[in-house]
Amino acid sequence: MQSKQTLRKVKIYRYDPEKGGEGQFSTYDLNIENPAITTILDVLIRIQKEQDPSISFRYACRVNMCGSCGMVINGREGLACKTNVSHLPAGQDITLRPLNHFPVIKDLVVDMGPFFTKYEDALPFFEPKMKHDEPYIIKADDPKRVDIGMATDCIACGCCVSSCTMVNNHEGYAGPAALNRAFTLLADERDALFVPRLTRALESCYNCRTEFNCTEVCPKQISGTRSIKYIQRLAVTHLKELKPLEAHPAEELPPKPPKEEPDTPCCCKAGHAADPSRRSFLKTAAGMVGIASSVGIAGVLGVAAVAPTLASNPKQWVPAGTLKDFPVGGISTIMLSYTRTQGFHSAAVNAPILVRRDSETEFLCFSSSCPHLGCSVAWDPLSARFKCACHGGAFDKDGNVLAGPPPRGLDRLPWKIEDGIIKVEVV
Amino acid sequence: MTPKHTVDLLILGMGAAAELAAIYAYDANPKLNILIATKALKGKGGCSRMVQGGFNVVLDSSDSHEKHFMDTLKGGQYINDQDLALTLVEQATPTVKELETISGCFFDRRDDGHIHQKAFAGQSFDRTVHKGDLTGIEIISRTTEQVFKRRIPVLEETRAVELLLDETGTVVTGALLFEMRTGKFIVVEAAATLVATGGGPTQYRFHAPGPEKSADGIAMLYRAGAVMRDMEMIQFHPTGLIIPGSVVAGALLEEGLRGAGAHLYNGKGERYMKTYAPEVAERATRDVVSRSAYLEMIAGRACPEGGVHIDAAHLGADFVLKNFPGMAERCAQFNYDLANGRVPVSPSAHFFMGGAAIDKDCYASLGKLFVAGEDAGGVHGANRLGGNGICESCVYGRQAGISIAKFLASKENRTIVKTAPKMAERMAERLAAPLTATSGTSPLENRRDIQETNWLQVGVVRNQKDLQSALDSFTGMSENVAKAKVSGSQAYNMIYNVHLDTLNMIDVSIMAATSALQRDETRGAHTRSDFPQQRDDYGLFNTFLWRGESNLPVFEKREVIFKHKSLETCQQFKK
Repeated sequence: MQSKQTLRKVKIYRYDPEKGGEGQFSTYDLNIENPAITTILDVLIRIQKEQDPSISFRYACRVNMCGSCGMVINGREGLACKTNVSHLPAGQDITLRPLNHFPVIKDLVVDMGPFFTKYEDALPFFEPKMKHDEPYIIKADDPKRVDIGMATDCIACGCCVSSCTMVNNHEGYAGPAALNRAFTLLADERDALFVPRLTRALESCYNCRTEFNCTEVCPKQISGTRSIKYIQRLAVTHLKELKPLEAHPAEELPPKPPKEEPDTPCCCKAGHAADPSRRSFLKTAAGMVGIASSVGIAGVLGVAAVAPTLASNPKQWVPAGTLKDFPVGGISTIMLSYTRTQGFHSAAVNAPILVRRDSETEFLCFSSSCPHLGCSVAWDPLSARFKCACHGGAFDKDGNVLAGPPPRGLDRLPWKIEDGIIKVEVV
Repeated sequence: MTPKHTVDLLILGMGAAAELAAIYAYDANPKLNILIATKALKGKGGCSRMVQGGFNVVLDSSDSHEKHFMDTLKGGQYINDQDLALTLVEQATPTVKELETISGCFFDRRDDGHIHQKAFAGQSFDRTVHKGDLTGIEIISRTTEQVFKRRIPVLEETRAVELLLDETGTVVTGALLFEMRTGKFIVVEAAATLVATGGGPTQYRFHAPGPEKSADGIAMLYRAGAVMRDMEMIQFHPTGLIIPGSVVAGALLEEGLRGAGAHLYNGKGERYMKTYAPEVAERATRDVVSRSAYLEMIAGRACPEGGVHIDAAHLGADFVLKNFPGMAERCAQFNYDLANGRVPVSPSAHFFMGGAAIDKDCYASLGKLFVAGEDAGGVHGANRLGGNGICESCVYGRQAGISIAKFLASKENRTIVKTAPKMAERMAERLAAPLTATSGTSPLENRRDIQETNWLQVGVVRNQKDLQSALDSFTGMSENVAKAKVSGSQAYNMIYNVHLDTLNMIDVSIMAATSALQRDETRGAHTRSDFPQQRDDYGLFNTFLWRGESNLPVFEKREVIFKHKSLETCQQFKK
């Protein structure tokens, strides 16, 4: 019997390699009578069988042992075979998309190649110290084996790498799975590669921002964070054994310009530089215009290196769209296109901004430029966060920093409504 | 038409047998050009990774190869190939040690620092080496890393679909592969080919191996003309989880639970194993426990969920959680409480004792062809002991690697033999037909038909009428499978992959039913309700079959050779 209680909407990301493009979500209605014993893998198999044979996903063992069915389930990485429908909030749609940071082959199937490339960074294989015919005698309560615990149970599903905000953006960062394997080998007294492995792992592991995402999502309850911290601690006790690290090539080059905003500086820095710490929120007499300002210590941290100083640029009001363009309760990214004129110099500016509409008359507008290094920030509805793809900065819906390297929250832009058109003040 | 590779050694599969073969062949001669092709992601497919309980091996001075050998023969009801079984137990010892010293596995330890060995059913000594209750992860993760370390190339999500033969049809020249991601066929020619894809009797409704398995190796070997043996011997594991409507159904609760003393109850709350095997009760071998559960079920004494109940709770919740954390977690995911309650289980199709006939160096009946692991038959006879499965894969993977390296050391052997003209092209054309068919049968329905027929008629308990009827049905199903239609694009087409599975599943179904009709007795995993007794005056033979002229199996019974242990010794052996 189908009833409203058991009918669930399942949104599945679809990507056809023959068509290319960005892909889209397909929505299916599925009657799930017993969510407590129905896995997400069951959901996919049923949809494939009953509704749409063309969907592709990957699985093998179906009992949490092979790590083939990792995907992002309602915004969180997990194994499809280990996640039951009842683990998701009742009444919530089920949204399935492929793991982050991996090339999509088709639909939910990703190419795990990049995972294993990073994995190899950690020399992830046992190398015996000497030829030994008999297994080592190591007591069950040997402290190092206790440290290793179940961390060797990693099934290389890629969930941790998908959840990590750093690994995809740092060539030199091997990521949680590789470093976890490095840790289990570094703590293994039988292994011969302690020094080279520690050298490599240390070079890598300080990129961890200790966000615990990997720990949170690991289907085998392994804490990648703990493994990484363990390696960092080894640096203290084994300092003398290590060779000095050579500079990573990236460190010797000037910083790269921000990825998506050539010459598009953060609009709101201008004019507020004198007000570095105050977060004021004023309303005009009509209650229509919000002015926010906060600049913080960006200059110290290097924003100045990638964004020209714009303190003397004139401000102007630019239309962002009509009121009906912005649904109440929604957050949109709008590309502002306007001409900035200063003296005889004029330049075309294309700058994305973020517009949040709370009610008929209440808006919040943010610069989409990440206060860290100026990359574009976008709203991720699944995790209900603004996210910066470059270094994993994350902000709540008010623009406050939740995670990652940004030194301060998203910059707010003054706004007003005139004749049904919302305008923001930019430079 | 198709991309082509030429290598010294082509290894099909990437479970324990395939990986150890690759490692040992490489170590014997690093210059060998080895290529691995696996149906799944690197190191992620197959049953070795799914091994829970562990690995039987003689390590303790109070144990002996003699005892392990006798346990294996007794478990196999005397029809094992004794050479293979002896090699298994003797080579298991160095193999498990080298898993630690070469590959870096670390198995659970005793308090004194030596490797811990736990109790499994049907054994005279507690000799099962393990890593918690999810041993396969440790073995396969470590051996996969060793394959990476040696930079042995792997084609992943590239399954073998057919073996290639020379013009005479007696020499294997390589294999035709299918790359799932692009939907393209690939020809690999090799101076030696190792088939180690693993079996996985998923041709039953209720099965323990992952649904990706489909007895590819066994079916390919048969179609290529290799001599197969003991194909009626399909093991049902007694404790597959009952989970209505889920693909996880059939997944196992490991044997160590019964080894540790878990009880089985029927729907009336009786410990029925005391009736079927008064001396050992639940610690009887898998064939006996599965058969007993099935007989209880068809006698109307099933539990409400449809099977029987396993009770480990009486061992104490702390003990269960400490020793079987993986099993407890698996149960908890489906609202079963292994530590405190009873869990419904049913016999679940688990393992092919049969497979290609090989010798102890893994040579099969065709030239340049080697077979190791579940694709090979004979080691286990009529029933495999729990813990002898991963043992076989590792031991015979190692044997194959060493033996193939020796084979390829001769210049004459290390040459590519020409494949029969157009063979690969014709195969690829035939196999691709469903993708362009305008109408036809559904692979998912074909699979379901095969699974239902096997479950009902070639299952735990068989009889002549049902077997005959199943064989008749298989003829029709075989035609249906050949007439399949698959829609959609070629890239990562899962339904087409199921179609390729069904081609193999139907062939092994025919082999199993044909062989089962030849054995008019009950022995090991083969239970006949019309011949309920084991008949040692009749049944001491092995069933051999191969594909004949008209594509039908040719059949031959061969007497068991009691080479190392006499029948009397086997019969009188008491644990």
